[in-house]
Amino acid sequence: MITELSEEAIEYGLTVRKVLESAGGDRLAQTAEAEPDRREELVAPILAELGAWDLDPRSGADEAEAAAALCRSAGYWAVAYPVAERLGRPRDVEADGLLVVNPDVPAAPVADLPLRWVAVDLDGRRSMAVPRAGTARGRRDAFVSALELEPLDDRGADDVSLGLVLPCWTLLGMLDRALELTRNHVLERRQFGQPLATFQGVQFQLTDGEVERVGLEELAKYALWSIESGDPAALNDALALRAAALQAAEIVFRVAHQLHGAIGFCDETALSWVSRASVPLRRLPFGMSATRAKLTRSMGRMALPGLFNVDPSGSSAR
Amino acid sequence: MGEDVAAVRSELRQLIDDHVPPDYFGAFTDDPADLAVAQSFCRTLAERGLLCVAWPEEWGGKGASAWVQTAVREEMWAHHEPRGAQYMGVNWVGPTIMRHGTPEQQRTHLPPIARGEVIWCQGFSEPNSGSDLASVQTAARRDGDGWFISGQKIWTSYATMAQWCFLLTRTSRGDKKQQGLTIFLVPMSDPAIEVRPIASMVGPHHLNEVFFDEVWVTEADVLGPVDEGWQVVQEVLAFERVGIARYARCERLLGLAPAVVGDQWEALPEELRARWAESLTHCRRARLLAYRVVGMQQSGRVRPGDVAAYRIAVTRLDQHSAEVLTEITGLAVLEGTEAQRFKRAVAEHWRYAQASTVASGSIEVQRMLLARALLSA
Repeated sequence: MITELSEEAIEYGLTVRKVLESAGGDRLAQTAEAEPDRREELVAPILAELGAWDLDPRSGADEAEAAAALCRSAGYWAVAYPVAERLGRPRDVEADGLLVVNPDVPAAPVADLPLRWVAVDLDGRRSMAVPRAGTARGRRDAFVSALELEPLDDRGADDVSLGLVLPCWTLLGMLDRALELTRNHVLERRQFGQPLATFQGVQFQLTDGEVERVGLEELAKYALWSIESGDPAALNDALALRAAALQAAEIVFRVAHQLHGAIGFCDETALSWVSRASVPLRRLPFGMSATRAKLTRSMGRMALPGLFNVDPSGSSAR
Repeated sequence: MGEDVAAVRSELRQLIDDHVPPDYFGAFTDDPADLAVAQSFCRTLAERGLLCVAWPEEWGGKGASAWVQTAVREEMWAHHEPRGAQYMGVNWVGPTIMRHGTPEQQRTHLPPIARGEVIWCQGFSEPNSGSDLASVQTAARRDGDGWFISGQKIWTSYATMAQWCFLLTRTSRGDKKQQGLTIFLVPMSDPAIEVRPIASMVGPHHLNEVFFDEVWVTEADVLGPVDEGWQVVQEVLAFERVGIARYARCERLLGLAPAVVGDQWEALPEELRARWAESLTHCRRARLLAYRVVGMQQSGRVRPGDVAAYRIAVTRLDQHSAEVLTEITGLAVLEGTEAQRFKRAVAEHWRYAQASTVASGSIEVQRMLLARALLSA
């Protein structure tokens, strides 16, 4: 089990964050929204120079951790680009990325990109996926497009976990940023003659968000390790991570918006952009209730692997 | 973690199977046999060097890693703490005496703890000093070559069975309330000490009042520097906060539930089974946050905020899992010895869990510590 990403992965993530900041930081998302046709050129070449598209997260711990750190940094700047989805591309099909989808209503934030996609559902059924033209507009839909699916095969089961876990790292980066913005805001903003940060009601909300954020970080590392180690329970670990990530996002963004007050909804604050960018990750392929239901069904009577792996057919109940 | 951790875990499970009766749910019941089980089990662990496994060999330990110590905490708490009250001596009284005690205090106190022969209680909280611990009023008044201690402690667990008290007193008044505090190591057999049990929902022996009426102590009973006890207390609380592996019992009981319920499992409401899955995810989260703290402690990087985040997560988990498990045992028809035993274990877990956000530093104090860390960084 990994309790820390490697130093190299952490360093790589920090480098990505700095390079994206130099390339515009928050303006990357704003420009993409104003000029959706430029989504690809705004981000992909920068990450290409950093070797992002050469990473193969299935090749071992080093590249899996580097990919995770990269997703987290992309999330931090809320870049309007499917970084995690590209990193998860399947090995055996000519495609630029992998989308885990709900086959009943397939959709993903991939509008206006010149890329080829493979979609996979939780049962491992794969399709070639093409964004349906005219179904997404940037500002309203955060580039979410309906997908046309062309069935391919049912050999995608091994890809599902990675396809669920990497976007959780992107979401984690968004939570990092949302809490950082909120911390800075409550330290600077004064009401009743004192900084908001001096009010215990404010402090306690911030701690609620922080407990979720650090807890999610630990679960994300675990799920990455679970995939890398070939654990047969990796899908359950990935679904458990996603359920926890959605809960964490709900709490963190609620706290962030509440403590920012009205200014947090305005586009002059970064929170407004990060919050909106988080929505597709939180809704697709499944929201909180559906994710929990799928986890529960997938687990059946078997607890998540841990300290006590009990045979569900018999027990010693002390 | 490593092979040594797996080996210790396996050895502990075997010892529990061999020496702890299946109907043991903790040492603090009205049945004296439960206390006897714990006392005997401590000696069994001590004989194998497992009671104080992380202590230096000089003091009866094996010098094991913090990870082995973590595995011991997990196995013990998961199985209803068969060390009884002695976990306190092992986890923090002993280490604090190693760090701050005189050679004489170390010779007096450490061997009996390592042999599993002594129970300690913690004289910290007072009627007017709970979360605001530094405001304690129990006074030690210097008189010649010793002190007279008078005052009242409350919520003192295990005071009825303890031989020694780790007592926080006020010896002077400084500019700040954290100044002028001193720790004494006091024998509970002193006739000037009176213990009054408090009946409570968390069970007998857990909550007591302890009255000190001119208890005479000497210089030899002072732990650490006079008037500078607050720093010692901070260390104690840090040891204690990470000390109980609450997540381990939650995880064990949640993991057992489907097997105990058997074919009725799928008939439980899906929403309840989803909460079961969520609770197991939170078990994993709390365990990983504990490991994060242990890892940081090893490299000397641990900060109060990290411990606080873990404590908030694990105490909430304790209560969430207790609710989920209680609902499961309430809906399923549980027949037979094993199933009834499980139901009892869940009931005990629920009772204990009610106090988890209050004991060892309330969750509000943890949130204050975490907020301070976040906002000052």
